Amino acid sequence: MKNIIRALRTERGWSQQELADKLDVSRQSVNAIETGKYDPSLPLAFSLARLFGRSIEELFDDGTAVAEAAE
Amino acid sequence: MTQPKGFRTASRRYLMVFWPLMALYVITLFAGVYFVDEDTSPLYLRAGLAVAVALPLFGVLWAMLRQVRETDEYTRLRQLQALAEGGAITTSAIFLIGFLEIFNVISDVPLFLFGPFFFFAFGLAYCRRGLGKTV
Repeated sequence: MKNIIRALRTERGWSQQELADKLDVSRQSVNAIETGKYDPSLPLAFSLARLFGRSIEELFDDGTAVAEAAE
Repeated sequence: MTQPKGFRTASRRYLMVFWPLMALYVITLFAGVYFVDEDTSPLYLRAGLAVAVALPLFGVLWAMLRQVRETDEYTRLRQLQALAEGGAITTSAIFLIGFLEIFNVISDVPLFLFGPFFFFAFGLAYCRRGLGKTV
């Protein structure tokens, strides 16, 4: 699933390791989420949303917004 | 049932068990080789040594499974995938070697070797880069 995690992280000047430490996950987890290889669970998605002060819908794009706009 | 505790806590708890147990394993093994003679020592001593050497390895396996339960979700997924792949590769090897023995192609292969083989296969599967798309 596409997301803006990497953009928000770099905006704040955090490394992947720093973000991983804030979420208490591995750096590989952050990398997998940023690259869209892994879609986080709801609890982790909420943690990300709280950390960045955004809603989950703002962080993740499951493609429906684009599809709805096209209709 | 252990609950998830996060990556750092799970890793720390695993290493706190892993290193002492590995040290105990090495000490027990060397002490056993030094003090116990496999031909002349009494049976109870040899049996006790065999169990004593194996016990730390049981502990490491328990710590591995505890870490799987406690770590973060993505690491857990990778570990479970690697455990499954390592198990599948090891089981395949056991079947193949077993049939090769049954049909007298090769002589007896020590059962003991499959333990290290599993850990090697697990390690390879875990280190393999790229998990691919997951749900």
